[in-house]
Formats: sequence, C-alpha cells, structure tokens
Amino acid sequence: MALSASVVAALQRLLGPAGVVLTPEGRLTYESDMLTLYKAAPDAVVLPTSTDEVQAIVRLCREAHVPVVPRGSGTGLIGGATAPHGGVMVAMTRMTQILELDLANRCATVQPGLINLWLTNAVRERGWFFAPDPSSQMVSSIGGNVATNAGGPHCLKYGITTNHVLGLEMVTGTGDVVRVGGKAAERAGYDLTGVMVGNEGTFGLVTAITVRLLHLPEAVKTALASFASLVEASEAVSAIIAAGIIPAALEMLDDAMIGAVNAAVGKVYPDGAGAVLLIELDGPRAEVEAQAERVAAICRERQALVVTVARDEAERALLWKGRKEAAGAVGRITAAYLLQDAVVPRSRLPQIMREMVAISKRHNLLFANVFHAGDGNLHPLICYDDRKPGELERAQQANEELLHACIALGGTVSGEHGIGMDKAKNLPLQYAEADLNFMFRLRRVFDPDGLMNPAKLLPSHPACGEGFRPSRPTLPAGTWV
Amino acid sequence: MAVTTGAALADGLRAIVGAEHVREGGSPVDGVVPRWSAAPASIEQAAALVALAHDAGLAVFPRGSGSTLELGHAAARVDLVLETRRLDAVLEYNPDDLTVTVQAGCTAGALATRLAPRRQMLPLDPPGWSARSLGGIAATQASGPLRLRYGTMRDLLLGVRFAQADGVLTWGGAKVVKSVSGYDVPKLMVGALGTLGVLLELTLRLHPAPDYESTWLASFRTPAHAQECVAALLDSTVQPNRLELLDSRVLAVCNLPVSAAALVISIGTVEPAVRAEEGLVKAIVQRAHGTTETMGASFWRTYDRALAGFDGVTLRIGTVPARLVETLGAVQAVLPGAAMAGAAGLGALRALITHADAATLLEALERLRATVGEVDGAVIVERAPRAVRERLDPWGPVPAAALTVMRTMKTEFDPRGVLNPGRFVGGL
Repeated sequence: MALSASVVAALQRLLGPAGVVLTPEGRLTYESDMLTLYKAAPDAVVLPTSTDEVQAIVRLCREAHVPVVPRGSGTGLIGGATAPHGGVMVAMTRMTQILELDLANRCATVQPGLINLWLTNAVRERGWFFAPDPSSQMVSSIGGNVATNAGGPHCLKYGITTNHVLGLEMVTGTGDVVRVGGKAAERAGYDLTGVMVGNEGTFGLVTAITVRLLHLPEAVKTALASFASLVEASEAVSAIIAAGIIPAALEMLDDAMIGAVNAAVGKVYPDGAGAVLLIELDGPRAEVEAQAERVAAICRERQALVVTVARDEAERALLWKGRKEAAGAVGRITAAYLLQDAVVPRSRLPQIMREMVAISKRHNLLFANVFHAGDGNLHPLICYDDRKPGELERAQQANEELLHACIALGGTVSGEHGIGMDKAKNLPLQYAEADLNFMFRLRRVFDPDGLMNPAKLLPSHPACGEGFRPSRPTLPAGTWV
Repeated sequence: MAVTTGAALADGLRAIVGAEHVREGGSPVDGVVPRWSAAPASIEQAAALVALAHDAGLAVFPRGSGSTLELGHAAARVDLVLETRRLDAVLEYNPDDLTVTVQAGCTAGALATRLAPRRQMLPLDPPGWSARSLGGIAATQASGPLRLRYGTMRDLLLGVRFAQADGVLTWGGAKVVKSVSGYDVPKLMVGALGTLGVLLELTLRLHPAPDYESTWLASFRTPAHAQECVAALLDSTVQPNRLELLDSRVLAVCNLPVSAAALVISIGTVEPAVRAEEGLVKAIVQRAHGTTETMGASFWRTYDRALAGFDGVTLRIGTVPARLVETLGAVQAVLPGAAMAGAAGLGALRALITHADAATLLEALERLRATVGEVDGAVIVERAPRAVRERLDPWGPVPAAALTVMRTMKTEFDPRGVLNPGRFVGGL
C-alpha cells in the first residue's frame, strides 16, 4: 500500500525534506532489523527530532489509517523493526539527547535514540553506570532496549531493562502524549511504566525515558573455568547459584564457539575444552575476593579442567572480548544460523544441554552455544548452509524441537530478545487462550486502531481477535434462574 | 439470566465453596458489613465466585490478611468479601532456581519459614510483613526498608494467575527469572488493588539470604546532616541493603537515643566484606558530623513493630533522596505532630499522624502534594478512618493523559465494575 500524496506532503511539511526518506534505495536500509529473515521496507521513513513531531506523525498516520513502525538502531533480533504492512517507519536516530542527568537522585532522562553505551560514557568518570548491557550496547538505542525489555550478561545480578526504567513519555496509538512514572519513589495508579516496557512499539512510540543509574562497584573480578562438557559446566552453574552466590554475569561458551572465538580474536580461551564458564563478580572488594574463592572451589569440585582469574583490567577485557564478539566470530564456522532465545529454569540446564546434543545429532546440524547460563537463558546458534536445499527447514525444525523442550521444562519462549514477527507463533505454547486474549485487549487499550507496529508480538490466533470469549468457570446448577 | 434473588445467590455461593465457608455478613471491611463473605479453597472456587458475582452484579472486595483495608477511596458497596485465607499453599518451591510459586493468601511470614532452611528469602518487608498475605502485598505494592537493595514486588513478581472480572482464570508472565515473552502483565497487577483481576497465585523471584549482616545507628544534629550523609553513601561504593531515615519521634517509639534525625544502615554480605564496609560507613557518617553506634539485628523487628503497630493516619510520601530535608520540613509545617521514617536512599517515606481531623488533613495533603509534585512525587493515604477518607482524595492527582489510559484499561477489563469498584485512583 503506497502512501497517498497528501500524507507524504504533510510529512515533508512537518519534518522538512531531510526528515523524510522516500527513495527505494533509501528505504532499503530500513527493510529489516538484524534478523534478515523478515524483510519489508516501509513506504516512508521519517526522522523526527522531538516529541511534538512524533505526536504529529502518529496523528497524521492515524487519520490516514497508515501503520506506524518504530525503529531504534535496527539491532533487534526478532523482526521487530520491519514493515510487513508498509506504512511509516519512525526512526529515532535524531533523538539522541541526554535531557537531564540527576546523579544526586541516581537517574537520567534521555531521548530514545541515545545509544546505550553513550549514557554510561557520560557518567562513568563520575562513578556511575547504566546497568542494562545487551551485547549490542555499543550501537543499540535505549529506546530499542525499552521496546524489547532488553537483557544482557550483567542482568543476572542487576535485572533487565524494566528494572531500571523509572518513567516514560509515550505517544500512544491514540496520538496522545502520556507521561508515566518518574524519579520519585511513589506513584498512584496502575504501573503503566512497567507494562509499557517491552511493548515492542505495539502501544506507541517512546519519546523520553527516565532511567536509574547505579554507582560503579568498588571491585570487579572475572574468572574463567573450563570443563570437559557442557553438562559439567551446567552443573557448576547450578552449584554456584545454589551456594547463594549471584555473580554479576555467568556466561557459557561451548567447544564450537570456543574454536570460533579463538580463530577470530586470538587464543583467549583454552583449547580442547568442551565448555568454558565466564564468571564475573562485582561489588565491595572483600566480597568479591571471598566469592571468587568460593566460585573457584565450586568449579574445581565440579571437575573443572582449568580455573583462572584475570589479574588485571587487560586480561579481564580479553576474556570479555571473546564473549562480546562471539556472534561475529561464528561467521568463521557457518554461513548462516538461527538464534534461539528460550529460557529454562537454571537447575534444568544440564538436562536441556543433553537434549540439545540429541537434537543436534538427530538433525545433523552444528549447534554453537554462547549464552547467559546464570539465568538459564539459552542462545544456541543453529548453524546451516543456506545454499543446501532443505537445510534451513531442518534448522527450523531443530529450533522448534528445542523450544518445545524448553517449554516442557517450565521455560519461556524469549528471555531477552523479544517476540516480534519471529516468535509470535510460539506464544500459544506458553499461554492459554485467556492469557493471549488478555494481552490482545491490553494492546487495544493503547492502540485501538491496530496501527502501531502491526503483525508483531501477538500471534494471529482467534484469541487475539475481536469478539473472542475465553471459557468461563462453570457455575453450579441452581445459580442460574 | 443471572440470579437475582438473595436466596438463589446464597445457594450459589454455598454450592461453590461449601456452606461452612460462606457467611451472611462477616467482619466489617472499611466500616461496612458485607452482604456475604466467602473463603474459597482453590483458585477454581475463587474464579467461580467472581463469575457468579459478575453475573449477579455484585461488587467483590478481595481480602488477604486485612492489614490494609483502608487504602483507597471508601468502599461504596461491599457485596462479597472474597477471603484468600484458605488459599495459603506454597505450590512449588525450586530452591536451585531461586523461585517459588505461592497462593495469594500465603503470608510472607509463612513463606519466610519455608525458605529459611535453604538460607533464601523473599526480600519484601513492609510494616507488619510477617502476617501479611503475599497477594495483599502485591495488590497494595507495599514496601519496606529492603526495597533499597532488592526493589519492590514489581521487581520480584515473575508470574501471576488471577481471575478477571468475569471469572476467567488468566496467567501472565513466566515461572523463570528472565522472560520477555509477551506483555509484562504482572507489572500491571502490582499495586492495582485487585481492580483489574483478583490475584490468586504468584510466582516470585527469591534471593540468597546474606551470610552476615550488621546494622548501625547514625545520629545527626540536623536533618540536613542526615541528608548529607545519605548523599555521600549513595555516591560511594558502599552497598547497604537498608538505609532508613528516622525522625526524633520514631526514634523515641523504637527506644533509641533521640536526635534530630538518624539513619539506620545495614549491610549484608560475606563477613569480611561487612567488616571492611563498616569502616567506610563510619567515616562517611563522621564526615557528615554524625555519630555511629552498632545495633543488634533485633532492631529491624522493633522498627517493624513500631511502624505496624502505629494507630492513626499513615501517609506514603514519594519524593527523591536529594529532597529529604524539604519533605520533612513540609510535613512538619502542615502536620506538626507527624512522625516520619522511610527509605532515605530512595525518597520513599511514611508519615504517621496520631491526631488529624479531615479538614487539617485535607489542607495538609494539598500543600504536601504541591511540594512533592515538583519532582512528580505522590502522597498516598495508606491508612485513615473511613470518615476522613470520604472527605479527601486518598490517591492524589494523576496526570490527565495517564488517567485516561487507566480508565480505558478499567473499562476494558472490568466494564461492570465488579472488582473493588470506586476504590482506586480517579474513582476507578
């Protein structure tokens, strides 16, 4: 569906010629996020600089009944920032200001296009940081982090994005500017901030975000333990948590990933190990020292092959470099891969790892693992060759089987990437019709016309349609007259 | 057509929960004797009660431990009190995952007893926490000192099962510590006072109990010095798990040495770290011209009892940590007899007022709300007699655009006004 000339003219009047991208080659950049399986360019891309402009865009689109698709940095992994129904994509790349730094009250207010790491860079010298650290933090925007409720390695200790968002300003699907939450400690009314985080743009466009900042810890210690197999490493993870230690991060890489990383960035991880655990502790120095000793002891009890502790910042950076560049390094072992994001209860890690090995063998596909073991959030890269007929289908089949296994163990479809177009079909695995219907109606509260990022987050399912009635409790006979 | 006669309704309620668990009348809630009180034994029974109430046009008033019945607007109608006291089971405790699923009527104290052998805890400690139901703590978003380090129910509730206004049993969230699958429905239910659904089951994130904990009292000559100390602690690497501000009146109630203002600071972690942090804490207090003394762990029980046992009007005041002095001053100016305490590191304070008539309180609320409104804060009447609350807005103003969304939400999920009607913000 092309935009009408009057809508295009109105957008250009509003944003100026530099604020509207209409050419096919210009729009091509915006046809997908990092999950390139889903490609659909919008009819126009607009680049607002203020809340007022965003509101005017949404009102215009609402009048013309045109879909609105938000985009931060386009680093999402779920087909969230793509326009299957066309319409107007609102790219937040010109809304990058820090509106207020209020260190006395441990918070900052920023525009949605601000890059995650830039916020920490702005306050680090004064001893503060913004805790959510998705692996994309050098390029992903805080607005995008809010839309997907992004996680990251350090959310094991610090919590995911929602735990750090104090308030939001959003232009909802009704075209209203709604300000919710804020820096003060009490608020009357429903927790709209809480329910808006993770909405994936389906409620509206976030135009300002107040976030909690944390003081940098006194000490940080990073340790590495290698194991003969994923199962043994997983057992060590369970033992660490069971011992009452919540590391800042607890990451795992398997042999395929160790090989890829070593080939890409030099030999940072020991060869010949079936799995390595990267364990980071932070906090008061004495706490970190004591916990590092206990963690090392637990790893040795669990038959770790080697346990080493980074001696200085350079060694620590090197251990992390391998982890942070893992997704890129995998290009050395495969042309294409599917990325899974399911979660299992962390005590079930050894079990799901055995299952994964079985699935990998059954489909004769390589699985490369690099994931947030501490909270049971799996990220297997299911490798396939897209030039070989049928291999993508096999990878998809393996992906589905693993997801079913995770759900069967009490897990969840997505731990931190979100749902988008990619995983919407999987939500009925986890939610009953009444649950889906509740979410559908919740969406409609914010977006009555169904124009905000359509075809994302919720599945096309009868429970997510008008007029669906979930089954009610059966009332005893005699209570009806 | 739904039941209309009282007799048919009574039969229906008895058929759902059994005759012995339905009473005509029952103990008054918020000064009103209900038409019926019923105590379901299962979530299915609870859902059926809500469905019946929905069809019969009854107003449902969910009740946990009964600690917070005076929060919100005075209840206009109380047709059916749904008591969660029999829904008190710990359904699934997974110590190795640090998660637990409980029924809404389970008390925080009962859960704590269950978790203690594994040295784990649910770090929620609103005044009188031990006797309070977890469903009630969720519905009222009640918090206490541990909020500084662990957050509130909103940060700990992973999944929730509730009955919608028409009785449909619904689940939101997940049973694992990390999930972004679908909308964050649990957040919507926390602090909603049961107006969008009756909470029946909660899946909660647990934390390891600290190996070792120490508590110190820091006394100051002026509130300004206490504020200076709070600022210095927040801008340091010290990681307290509690940082409470106590004014002279609360100090007296707790039988502590009385000063103009005091901070009670606790640190919980491994023993060598607590000892190392103690030096830092003392140095920071000293720089702010305060004096430090070590307290026993029993202080937190004393403090809890002092706040929970207070008989009068309670206000929850939400401000920011850099405005403690202004907030204390503003309260003293309008309510000279008020006692104040709260989480200084967050600006979450409570004012306890023994004697206040409705007219005084009405004027005080207006002025306090203007003061904290400068930082978008709120003053919520957590507890006051019905006669007082009938004359004022216990919630305070909510910005118009946000209130419109809340009203749309309530209309969508409870169009007939079954769930705690009229008690929430804006009379929702």
